[in-house]
Amino acid sequence: MARLANLETEYPVLDSTVRNFCASHGIFSVEDFLIHDLYMLAAFAEQNNSSERLKEGIAQVLSIIDDMHQPWLNGMELLEDAKRNKHVFPTGIQGIDLLLGGGIRVGQLTELVGPSSSGKTQVCLRTASNVARNHLVLYLDTGNSFSPQRIAYFLGKTINPSSAQAKNQFLQKVMSNISCHSVFDMFAMFDVLHQLESYLRCQDGRGGCQMRLLIVDSISSLISPVLGSSSTQGRALMTSAGYLLKKLAHQHNLAVLIINHTVGGEGGYSKPALGDSWKCIPHSRLFLSCDRGSNNYNVSILRHPSMASGKAARFVI
Amino acid sequence: MEIWRLPISASQRGKLISAGYTSLSSLSSISSSDLARELKVSESEAMNILKVASHSRGSETSNASCSIVEGAQSAWDMLHDEESLMHITTSSADLDNILGGGIHCKEVTEIGGVPGIGKTQLGIQVAVNVQIPNDFGGLGGKAIYIDTEGSFMVERAFQIAEACIEDMSEYNRFLRKDFQECKIKMLPQDILENIFYFRICSYTEQIALINYLDKFLSEHKDVKVIVVDSVTFHFRQDFDDMALRTRVLSGMALKLMNLAKRFSLAVVLLNQVTTKHTEASFQLALALVTVLDLCSVTMLSR
Repeated sequence: MARLANLETEYPVLDSTVRNFCASHGIFSVEDFLIHDLYMLAAFAEQNNSSERLKEGIAQVLSIIDDMHQPWLNGMELLEDAKRNKHVFPTGIQGIDLLLGGGIRVGQLTELVGPSSSGKTQVCLRTASNVARNHLVLYLDTGNSFSPQRIAYFLGKTINPSSAQAKNQFLQKVMSNISCHSVFDMFAMFDVLHQLESYLRCQDGRGGCQMRLLIVDSISSLISPVLGSSSTQGRALMTSAGYLLKKLAHQHNLAVLIINHTVGGEGGYSKPALGDSWKCIPHSRLFLSCDRGSNNYNVSILRHPSMASGKAARFVI
Repeated sequence: MEIWRLPISASQRGKLISAGYTSLSSLSSISSSDLARELKVSESEAMNILKVASHSRGSETSNASCSIVEGAQSAWDMLHDEESLMHITTSSADLDNILGGGIHCKEVTEIGGVPGIGKTQLGIQVAVNVQIPNDFGGLGGKAIYIDTEGSFMVERAFQIAEACIEDMSEYNRFLRKDFQECKIKMLPQDILENIFYFRICSYTEQIALINYLDKFLSEHKDVKVIVVDSVTFHFRQDFDDMALRTRVLSGMALKLMNLAKRFSLAVVLLNQVTTKHTEASFQLALALVTVLDLCSVTMLSR
């Protein structure tokens, strides 16, 4: 939101008298205006010499603010939007799809939590290979865990190879839909999400193959180095990243899948990392674990908007 | 508030917010001298802030190219890239088999084991083997050896270098069957010259070195492997604040992965082991393994 000084060119009402009056109350930008008590401000304006000017200025700023909020939607419009845009993408793993009633939902942030080697990256790769058949996928990799061979293996399992060349063409077509980018710190991640936002805004206008899945593997390794030090910037970065991901998911009809790891909790049980502030940010949270020495994995629901938590299932990759 | 996303110091951020600059667009039309005056900072600091802000904003311009994000690669291209990447042999066929051909470039490999099992020897061997020229199936690159324990012995490295050259000439004779032409022009001294050795005595030196490697590697583009022996030695004792240790180690791991990816080199970390108590039994586990969640991890045991 702009500083009041910058708005003067567009709205000449906000001249220096208005600005000096606001500055005397500690208001320098439109945002400060929102935090302030407006009745008190109006009362002070009354007592001032050029009260008419000041009241006009205040009214102008309020009208600017009115233009800035998101449009109101009623229940029917939301239902329309849900039916038309918010589909469900199957992950390709039977156990998980049955548990979630179809798969991961567009417009929601789904989190996979689990100790190391519990299959989180494998589930993401499998989902990416499934969704990439018809849509674009962006995979943000923080630990060099993206493996194109694995994607090729998953795709190879699902088709009947009529000829090596046909199989090659199919692989090329699907794998070109998956883009992978490595990010190694939180600020680079924000840059990438910023670029993604402008890409998605252009995409909404045109047709063709659209991006529908964003995977972040893993968000905890980006946030852990900045979280917990004496300043609160780490937590601010974490929550603003979470809100940005949810906003992208809802406004541009993306399914977002993120990976988190676990830390030791009380009593020796492992609990998800990133603490209580992160707990309420993802829409759904799934806890993965692996039976030692075998290919069997367990998944249980920690949180889901439409299903009871505690339900569990097993799956094999 | 978009100012949160800029990589600037906390005091600069505080000054920006109290002066009313809460979004990136508000910084677009101001000159550095005005900003310096408003924030009461030096002009060079103000110029720095504006540069960082315009860099963040510059990435907002609409992306008409086919890639979604700058720098992203499609999975198909990555598949073919990986097939053409070379490996660094460890001179042991069994070990090469487990690692899938050798130590991979663009990846971080962690090797752990009990004391005395041969980790440092393996580290020195890798630092020598990376210099095998392309004609003999090697990478022909240089090596960085970061020593935290003081266990690097130059005499041993010389012996290994001599043995490597002997191996190469043996292979040469076997394959080409002529003595005169293809005599190996490498001497053990040349091999030792191509190993950049850093001795680290504390964890701050270790972190500082890893930060400095960025600049070093831009100047020495032919370095193809970084060996760190051993990576957690300075972090195991005398660390009061456990949370700080976790943060520092995970930040260091990310930086190493970044270096591996950007400069297409291999990073080899040698680590010690500790015993872990799980379910009433004792198990050997790599020290601080939960912090360094890396690519491929190999445990050596007798």
